[in-house]
Amino acid sequence: MKQIKLTALIVITCFVLLFCTAWAGEKQPFPVNEIKLDNGLIVLIVERTNAPVFTGYICAGAGSAYEKIGNIGTAHLLEHMMFKGSETVGTSNIGAETELWIKEDSVWARIDKANRLTRYIKMNQPEKLEEHLKYIEDLNSILDSLAKASSQYTIPNEFDQIYTRHGAAQFNAWTGYDITSYHVSLPSNRLELWFKMESDRLKKPAFREFFTERDVVSEERRQSVENNSESKLFEQLIATSFLAHPYQIYWEWQSEINNLTRQDLQRFFDTYYTPSNLTIAVVGDVKTDEVKKLAEKYFGDMSPVDNFEPIYTEEPEQLGERRVNVSFDSSPAVYIAYHKTAFDSPDEPVFKVIGRLIGDGRTSRLYKSLVLDKQLSLNVDVAFFPGGIMGDRHAGVLNIYSEPKEGVSTADVEAAIYEEFEKLTTELVDETELTKIKNNIDADYIWATYNNFGLAYRLAITQNMTRDWRNLFKLREQLLAVTAEDIRRVAGKYLSENNRTVATLVPIKKGEDQ
Amino acid sequence: MRTFKFIFVFIVLLSGLSFAQHPRDMKFAPLDFNPPEPVRFEIDNGIVVYFLEDHQLPVMTVSAYFHGGTVQDTKDKAGLSNITATLLRSGGAGPRTPDKIDSDLDFVGISLNSSAGDEYFAVNMRLLKKDTDTGFEILSDMLTKPVFDSSKMELELSNKLDEIKRQNDDPRDIGRRVYYQTVYGDHPYGLYPTLQSINNISRDDVIDWFKKFYNPDNCIMAISGDMTVDELKSTINKYFGDWKKSNIKIENPAPAQQTYKPGLYYAEKNINQANFRFGFLCMTDKNPDRFAFEVMNFALGGGGFSSRLMQQVRTAAGLAYSVGSYFYARPLGGTLFGYCLTKADQLSQSLKMMMAIITEVKENGITKDEMELAKESIINGYVFSYDTPSGLVNAIAMLELGGFPSDQLQKDLEQYQAVTLEKCNEVAKKYLDLDKIALVIVGSEKEFDAPLDSLSKAVFKVPMEIK
Repeated sequence: MKQIKLTALIVITCFVLLFCTAWAGEKQPFPVNEIKLDNGLIVLIVERTNAPVFTGYICAGAGSAYEKIGNIGTAHLLEHMMFKGSETVGTSNIGAETELWIKEDSVWARIDKANRLTRYIKMNQPEKLEEHLKYIEDLNSILDSLAKASSQYTIPNEFDQIYTRHGAAQFNAWTGYDITSYHVSLPSNRLELWFKMESDRLKKPAFREFFTERDVVSEERRQSVENNSESKLFEQLIATSFLAHPYQIYWEWQSEINNLTRQDLQRFFDTYYTPSNLTIAVVGDVKTDEVKKLAEKYFGDMSPVDNFEPIYTEEPEQLGERRVNVSFDSSPAVYIAYHKTAFDSPDEPVFKVIGRLIGDGRTSRLYKSLVLDKQLSLNVDVAFFPGGIMGDRHAGVLNIYSEPKEGVSTADVEAAIYEEFEKLTTELVDETELTKIKNNIDADYIWATYNNFGLAYRLAITQNMTRDWRNLFKLREQLLAVTAEDIRRVAGKYLSENNRTVATLVPIKKGEDQ
Repeated sequence: MRTFKFIFVFIVLLSGLSFAQHPRDMKFAPLDFNPPEPVRFEIDNGIVVYFLEDHQLPVMTVSAYFHGGTVQDTKDKAGLSNITATLLRSGGAGPRTPDKIDSDLDFVGISLNSSAGDEYFAVNMRLLKKDTDTGFEILSDMLTKPVFDSSKMELELSNKLDEIKRQNDDPRDIGRRVYYQTVYGDHPYGLYPTLQSINNISRDDVIDWFKKFYNPDNCIMAISGDMTVDELKSTINKYFGDWKKSNIKIENPAPAQQTYKPGLYYAEKNINQANFRFGFLCMTDKNPDRFAFEVMNFALGGGGFSSRLMQQVRTAAGLAYSVGSYFYARPLGGTLFGYCLTKADQLSQSLKMMMAIITEVKENGITKDEMELAKESIINGYVFSYDTPSGLVNAIAMLELGGFPSDQLQKDLEQYQAVTLEKCNEVAKKYLDLDKIALVIVGSEKEFDAPLDSLSKAVFKVPMEIK
């Protein structure tokens, strides 16, 4: 990798967090310091001294929505591969490993080609099928033996072991739709270890144990989606709700995982894991000067490339209600989705207030009506999809999930939900209810900073999503400014029959569909 | 509490790390950390309060714990502790109707939850300092003047019945439930509510249950936040000073004994994975061998990617996303179990691999490197028990609740430091009771890669009817 001279322009902004009305006049102890390296990488720092620990949070500004048909699952598998170490961590001989991976990839390319041929051989030369399948089997054995050969140079899970040895907590990652996140909390004197480890995998990743990890990701799908009734219902809801936008894929389909390649991952990595598309937040018992020094030392030499490939697709307007039934060995449930706005829409804060109004706590409209008063449902959950804290880069949905009590139909539950939405579009919310929501917003903004992780997460995501972390606190002002009239207008505009999709879980009775 | 020092003898302080240094060779000084010490005081009626003053944010966290919990339930009224805890929150208190409590709490964003743990009941509240009076007033009414509104009682019971009817929806719930029912048998740890047991519960049962457990002389509070000790003392006296002592002493039931037959317990569910768990009863949370056993289990399957089960079944073989072993050190008898979720036709392959790993550890022990990694991880990660004021004060209060001395966290640390390889391997041999394994498999037999009777000498089909 090319060395870039380290004359990073450092912009340090001390900015007192803006949410002080809840304790006006008292000192706010958490200023945010911002560093921008020459290559475009932004590092946010909050110094907090309550315990000798810190959270390091890294966002890459692309998730599964940026995958293309044919390599769906890339962002997720890449996230898994980032735990395999780097060209230095996890290996005893990177040169030998790399050579074997190239061989593996070329064998996989032949397997892939042969797999695609199988259907034609079946149709046109059935007498050659057996020979063909044997050929594929042999290739797979070669692939296995290459994997075995490369594993002798692999130090398995060394990346994890190093963090584990140093007492890491909250060490994980998640693949979102707009953003992929990597995070860990460590004792504060391990700050340099964190910079070394993270910069290593972000500058020189190594996709080792690739084909086995594909199987792990398959198993994750089986566990999280295929054998979980709520996820399964949700997957169908989202696929039905979006006709065009890549948000339509809730979780990578099995058929795509099985055909991913190292090249798919490398392409995604080169396109999106670039300094200007990465955001770092470090929150805890650290010194800004030290973080600045280490950020320059470990990330300053990343090439300042910017080859971000955007999503141009917009979801076309929905022209009428869509419904989908899902048969599964589980009790009845219903999921409903309404198309909404992206993070930068002026209606976005109104949606967030509506979400709280209908779905936050025991006094929320839907819980009160469905669970307490009418006693139709066991529960009712309101959420947004994809559901980023600042909203989403593209227009997502508002979704409602409910499990009816025995003897109640999902149609009755739906009717009760629509009745509440009808009220939202015809009646103005009264001041007391609106004040309640605003009090909760205030309280949540304070609790959001209670631990290092919560603050690091919010700052990194906000910076990455909106390009300015201050928007986290501007949003608070926007939320507090939402009026009853705004709510009626936005509810009227979006919570309509034409704009909704309904997915219903229909239980398979014992003995059916066996 | 005495001064905590995170000392580990092998740690060498090196300065001036070079850019090219491999991360595995980076060494750091031990963390010198004296966690703040919560204040402990008692008031006349016996309430014990742990308080950690913290003025960084204008917030308070308040927890009240009571000896009791679901281990007190009997088979004919299984679920009573949970219903009591739930209704305490939803059934109204003092002058407030159930709805009024909800609206007063929600209006200012106070979160207040009531729950039944295994050996205790808990009420947890968090609030902004400005709402301290509202919060304490409602909490006090709830603990001293609960109403248990009968229409809310009906709703809670009816919702509980609905939940039980849904208990076979999620394969992971089935696996967990059937495993505990199997290994604990009729012991309260193996007790789950049934339609029948819920139908046996009356409002009077709930009131009696409440009176038995929710008493000041059975109460330990853990409080943190933006108040001075004096302010808190007068707040506690104001809201809880008149609460009358009960002189009831709560005892846990007898420890669990093995009553199950080792073998395979098959819970049929139409899914495309095999979800299995296998294990046996082992030591309690007071057994001095638990430190070595925890370290051993870290290497076996408790230490995530750094453990053998994860390393071999997931990383090397790609057979599972979730796999590992868990040592659950419980006061009335712990259990160690392995778990795995794998594609149905990989069941026997995964199970055999896991059995071979656990057998290898029993017979030949773990390595010195594995032991050191486990110890360093546990010791270096200890600081995260204290990284928030509420986390710290609750951890300390829970010690007293669990019958440990107040410096047990420090003692734990010393015990982990003192673990030797010989000890790890001795406890592996002693406690890994492989001939007492209960293996619970959730899935669909016809999809498995081996017939059930090839996996175990004794196969029991778990009845899945909901009664």
